[in-house]
Amino acid sequence: MMLRIFLSLILAVSFFGSFSAKAETELWGDYSGVTLRVKLIGGGQYEGLYNEVIPWWEENTGGKIEIVTQKNHFELDKEIKKDIASGNLDFCVASNHTSFASQYGDIYTDLNNIMPASVLADYTPLILEHSTVNGRLVQMPRHSDVSNLYYQKSLYEDADNKANFKAKYGYDLTPPETWDQVKDQAIFFSNPPDFYGTQYVGKEEAIAGRFYELVIANGGALFDEDYRPIFNSPAGVEALQWFIDLYNAKAVPDGVLNYLWDDTGLGFASGTIAMNLDWAGWAGFFNDPENSKVAGDIGLVRAPMGSGGLRTGWSGSHSFSMTESCPDKEAAASFLWALTSNKAQMIEARGGLSPTRPAIWDAIIAEKKAEGDEFMLMVFETFKMSLAEDAFTPPLIPEWIEFTNALYPELQAAILGDKSPEDALATASKKATEIMEDAGYF
Amino acid sequence: MRKFLNGPWVLLMPTLIILTCVVLLPLLLSLWTSFTPFKLTKPDTLYRFVGFRNYERLIGDLDFWIAFGRTVLFLAIALNLELVFGLGIALLINKITYGQRTLRTLMMFPMMFSPILVGFQWKYIFNDNIGLMNNFLREFGVIQPIPWLVDGILANVSIMAAEIWSSTSVFAILLLAGLLGIPKDPIEAAKVDGCNSWQVFKNITLPFLMPFVFIAMTIRSLDVARAYDIVQMMTGGGPAKRTELLWTLISRTGYVDAKMGMANAMSYISIFLSIAFTFFFFYKLVEARQRLSYE
Repeated sequence: MMLRIFLSLILAVSFFGSFSAKAETELWGDYSGVTLRVKLIGGGQYEGLYNEVIPWWEENTGGKIEIVTQKNHFELDKEIKKDIASGNLDFCVASNHTSFASQYGDIYTDLNNIMPASVLADYTPLILEHSTVNGRLVQMPRHSDVSNLYYQKSLYEDADNKANFKAKYGYDLTPPETWDQVKDQAIFFSNPPDFYGTQYVGKEEAIAGRFYELVIANGGALFDEDYRPIFNSPAGVEALQWFIDLYNAKAVPDGVLNYLWDDTGLGFASGTIAMNLDWAGWAGFFNDPENSKVAGDIGLVRAPMGSGGLRTGWSGSHSFSMTESCPDKEAAASFLWALTSNKAQMIEARGGLSPTRPAIWDAIIAEKKAEGDEFMLMVFETFKMSLAEDAFTPPLIPEWIEFTNALYPELQAAILGDKSPEDALATASKKATEIMEDAGYF
Repeated sequence: MRKFLNGPWVLLMPTLIILTCVVLLPLLLSLWTSFTPFKLTKPDTLYRFVGFRNYERLIGDLDFWIAFGRTVLFLAIALNLELVFGLGIALLINKITYGQRTLRTLMMFPMMFSPILVGFQWKYIFNDNIGLMNNFLREFGVIQPIPWLVDGILANVSIMAAEIWSSTSVFAILLLAGLLGIPKDPIEAAKVDGCNSWQVFKNITLPFLMPFVFIAMTIRSLDVARAYDIVQMMTGGGPAKRTELLWTLISRTGYVDAKMGMANAMSYISIFLSIAFTFFFFYKLVEARQRLSYE
């Protein structure tokens, strides 16, 4: 199948310096004269990887990488959809995401037929499962995302806060275990417009995803097994009411419905937010005194539980895919491996991102222990547990993004008081039914 | 054949071919897609004819018609305010005898920014938490931040402010060109006859200027969809569709939901809006010219 690829098992000690990782299956080859055209997700958080891995791969294989596009994921998504429509798939490798992958039909090749089983064995099996669409492994996972709750530690250590909270709510002020406690504490800490208890991403897929995970945590679901919407339920109303209550109590900033990920991350770093549910990738930024006013004062707990006794855990993985039309699949496979290799994942893990290889979890935790970096150690241990026990993906269906576009304006309407939660969810449910009917689910 | 080759058709052919390739074919293709369930991610759907289904759905889609109505209102208010401000600026600059060129250049600065940058800039100005506007108001005792980009009316006013800032200079430049072309004799004659400034403006300057007003209106009514980037950056049509205009709705339907067939059906309905505005302004332009030549 891959004549020029040779597999070698070596110890990856040379990549990591200060620790030993388990043996990794490498996928090198001689690709002199081959140029791979690639479309990548851009942005500060993502580009460090390319700066290191691309020269490394080029040096070891003799091949060349031509970056055709580098833009944020939503823009990249639009571009790839246009490429599909025009039949202009003249690139080999593209960034992808488990939430997006199922939209792209069969433009990406089945990596089960290309990647040796020994390479695939280095990744977490569940994440590979999430990277599979209709039985075809179309993505090599780069890093995984799940959110946990960052908070300002000093607020919880303050004696007055403890006493006042206990007097008002009847239980001790400790980092929250449930979303109801988050609500109580957010309202307690808020002093608008100078300080807010928490915040949430307020539009597009972001708020739809947050709503989704809270519905699950409350014991509900978005769809039944035939993909008929069932979120207009007590669990759904309860989830939506949580957003409404915080907004009405001014425990979140007024402009929160225009917030996306950067807004919430920068908001917490500005020191004006008590608690922030966010991704692992922000941890290093939050604890960097040059960027953050809360550096050195950050606690982190697993995402709290809903009324159903489950923790929220909306999760997904950034990934890379290879087009079916790629003329140099061997070289592209080698590059996909390099982008998600031990070396690559260690680079991203040092920035706080969650690896998709079990060996890198062990390696990064060992490294942080050796460095005595208690904060990052806490971050990795919390996210490791969260990914293992709490994480769940959104429905991996092509209609996910379209569905979220139908849902989020209704959530916003309820939060702003334009509609009751029941009315908003009924309207969203009707639109979702239409989408699923059109897609042929029932 | 020889007659044909020597006739005007030969001279027209290059133009007709270019127009067919660049304008007519894309228009026909997009019209065709509006009768299909075409999804960008499923190219095969381009060949499935579903008749007027997309249009039938749109007729019963309240969200679409609300966005349609809001777009008409947005166009009407924004274009008229741009005209008033542009006319004011043009009249003021026309009065200046020293530094007029510098001011004309300065006036064009907002046009030099891309609409995306304008959107970012005004999003920051109207940010409820760290925005310049709320911080400025705080200096005057307005402690509670105003949710500029959340409140239904304020969000639309904020977007309109950004759009007006960005495009008023287009009106100002076109009207200034008109003012510079007005003959001085009638104005001087009117002043000699005892007319005051308002009477001169109303009875001489404005009638001379009206063709330029309608040319500017026509150009801007066709060009105003550039405001899409501003809206997208500032609110994305939200929250809760409070600032949803046809452009944000069509873009999301076509490119994010990938439902290009439906998006093109929306576009064809909204084209009637553009045609109506353009027809109205051309009608008024011809009327103004006829009145001018009559007078």
